[in-house]
Amino acid sequence: MDTATYFLYILISSMVMNLALALYGVFYKPHLTKKIISLTILGDTANTFALIIGYRLWPGETTPSRPPVLVGWTHLNKTMLQQYVSSAVDPLPQALVLTAVVIGLAVTLFLVFLALQIYRHYGTLDVREIRKLRG
Amino acid sequence: MKRLVGLIVIILFILAFSLLLVVAGESIVPGRQVRWLARVYLNTSYNPWSPYFTVNSPESVTSVVWDYRGLDTVFETMVFYLAIIGSIALARGYRKYIPAKLDYSKLGLSIIVKTVTRITAPLIIIVAASIALHGHLTPGGGFQGGATGAVAPLLILIIFSQYYLIRRGVRKESMLIVRSLGLTGIGITAIAVFLAGLAADVHAYVLQNQAKATAPVSAPAYIDNQLISGTLWFFNIFEFFAVLAGFTIVLLLLTIPEKAYQDGGVK
Repeated sequence: MDTATYFLYILISSMVMNLALALYGVFYKPHLTKKIISLTILGDTANTFALIIGYRLWPGETTPSRPPVLVGWTHLNKTMLQQYVSSAVDPLPQALVLTAVVIGLAVTLFLVFLALQIYRHYGTLDVREIRKLRG
Repeated sequence: MKRLVGLIVIILFILAFSLLLVVAGESIVPGRQVRWLARVYLNTSYNPWSPYFTVNSPESVTSVVWDYRGLDTVFETMVFYLAIIGSIALARGYRKYIPAKLDYSKLGLSIIVKTVTRITAPLIIIVAASIALHGHLTPGGGFQGGATGAVAPLLILIIFSQYYLIRRGVRKESMLIVRSLGLTGIGITAIAVFLAGLAADVHAYVLQNQAKATAPVSAPAYIDNQLISGTLWFFNIFEFFAVLAGFTIVLLLLTIPEKAYQDGGVK
């Protein structure tokens, strides 16, 4: 096993742990703010997973890959385009993550506002207390 | 007992995921067979030699976001605005609260922080606008530009207080208008080429950007010799304004003073 694969495995196992901890926080922390924090960690971990899975050393293990942006398009020739197509990474996972990040931010803001309103209404953010109060 | 069940669930989850990784074996990163799809995307995002298959944008990610998977992104925009609309619906029924004596110079943080913010907030807006306007050439786009630009109203809200922003016309209502204009722009851009095709009596698609072999109308790729990649530029601009206004609405709602929810507020 070479060093890059070794570090990749460390990265992936640590992210699985991250995912598990985030799920634990979402399900078992009684405080709503901590639930929201865990939820953001969960979303960011999922996004990073998508990026890692989408990234791969193209075209070979030793040649460097490029970001999917065509630099120098003003004086493009066919060799340049061929090189770009064979060495750039897959743009699709990045495109999916791009919108997911901003939507995650909007949903987080909504949840924070929801928690704030719950606090104004019930005077607490502990879900055990809120369950007892019933309106 | 409950804690034990939770522990078991977490351990099972980790074991299942490890099993998945082991079964996936070599393919933590995907196999070579997914590469042809990426090659198609990369080859056609800016390709002057195949005019019926190109997006005319050197940025492959933006091409995927607004051209190849344009409908996907329109629906993601919808999810985004459902979250914003949810926040607005939650804030219904609060009373307006404006203190009787309002000394703007005494509100907010110290003069040092205010001066620094006066310098940096316009810079943040400029950087955000450049991210959005160059979305089809360099990494970036409307979503990222809008999210970056929303930092400026956030800073002003915290450092200068809400009244400072409201006095300058950045109200919930005006931001709603900007957001609606942005969304309308996205909708019009989505059907613009289709309407042009209807007018010219040729075949055209909704969310079409450049001309296809069966649909010969296209949005202009160049304006005055500047590459704008057809509809991508307009999508990015409208999305920038819509996202910026949407975030500003939620931030304004988050900083409504506590007294507006109590009886002291004026209806």
